[in-house]
Amino acid sequence: MQKEQITDKEAICLITIFILGSTLIIGIGGIAKNDAWIAVTVGIIFSIPILLIYSRVLSLYPGKDLYEILNLVFGKGIGKLVSILYIWYSFHLGALVIRNFGEFINTVTMTKTPMFVPMLCLGLVCVVAVNLGVEVIARTSAFFLPVTLFIILTVLLLGIPKLHFNYLKPILSQGFSPVLKGGFSVFSFPFAETVLFIAVFFSLKTKKSPYKVYFSGLLLAGTIIVIVTIRNILILGGLLGKLYFPSHAAVSLINLGNFLQRIEVAVALVFAMGSFIKTSVCLLVTCKGIARVFNLDNYNSVTIQTGLLMIYFSQILYDSIMDMQNWAFTVYQYYAFPFQVVIPVIVWIFAEIKKKKMHIPSS
Amino acid sequence: MFVLVLIAYTILVIFEFIPLYKQKLWRDFWVNIVLLIFSFSIAMLLSFGVKIPSPANPIKDAITSIIGK
Repeated sequence: MQKEQITDKEAICLITIFILGSTLIIGIGGIAKNDAWIAVTVGIIFSIPILLIYSRVLSLYPGKDLYEILNLVFGKGIGKLVSILYIWYSFHLGALVIRNFGEFINTVTMTKTPMFVPMLCLGLVCVVAVNLGVEVIARTSAFFLPVTLFIILTVLLLGIPKLHFNYLKPILSQGFSPVLKGGFSVFSFPFAETVLFIAVFFSLKTKKSPYKVYFSGLLLAGTIIVIVTIRNILILGGLLGKLYFPSHAAVSLINLGNFLQRIEVAVALVFAMGSFIKTSVCLLVTCKGIARVFNLDNYNSVTIQTGLLMIYFSQILYDSIMDMQNWAFTVYQYYAFPFQVVIPVIVWIFAEIKKKKMHIPSS
Repeated sequence: MFVLVLIAYTILVIFEFIPLYKQKLWRDFWVNIVLLIFSFSIAMLLSFGVKIPSPANPIKDAITSIIGK
């Protein structure tokens, strides 16, 4: 496999857009109603220790990706088994993101087009991107991030006349438990999905840079998500938890004078870029895993088939949008918990023990 | 509809598999063949409008039986 290098700045852009990806589309923390922004903050605080663990694992094995680390830590047999689990997880996550995007397009803009068509288009673009490699995806995200930030900021400024600050009150009216539940959901839905980046950040420059990348990305994306959630609450109020696409609904209410209307198209552009980057990363991780498990010397040859399978899988995944909403907010966090927390913690403990054993004889 | 699928997969075989065959990358070739059979059968079933069971509901049932909601 050829060596690919990405700089820290590109990596930060990549992780930020990955976290923003489908979060902006379907919105998060709806269970906590008008305390959703507190739920998001709680989720960010929850995710700090787990991101520390991911970056520690990465800095213990510089230059190695997730599957190599699993092989080194668990040995050949169990390592392959756990690798297959991670292949399944990233494959499923990519299918979920494609499905979110497809439902969004199908519900909001192109209602008569079959949902398969936008999903196929997105998937094929991702196949091309993955074929070109992680460097290209990283540079694309470095180009997308300023555009995304500009659009979000402009929409925020334009939305100021529509904000109702009394929608924030009463704060914590239903106690702390819905906030904690929402916080757990937020933790697993965008933030801890960055576990996949252990398989991408094999080519960072120094040993310290995983920490820098993970935490800058978390800070940047977290701030944007909190701001967007507060804006949605201030515009929509009690409607927030009842809508499928709260960001889109909130932005579509904005109109300035009679000439500046329908700026939700700009936001749909942000959604498209986010889902593109997120799906590409998921597909990249899946293909890499398949290549490692079957000892292929390059992952490019399996990309097309895996991408097509991902698109079909996203097509058969749910019956309706209600299913998707229900699954994403009530089932997903428990389903993803082993992949996001349990296995990484085990890997981390084993890796620390192995490092200690290696150090004692040498010193 | 299935004609489109057939045409697409024929093109795919011509442009993907024949180079692999010529380069004698046998591992890649066999992994790809397995994936191709899998994805082709799913594509044909989808084009005939067959309803394929989704793994979302079994996962949901398993999780609700563990968490207990």
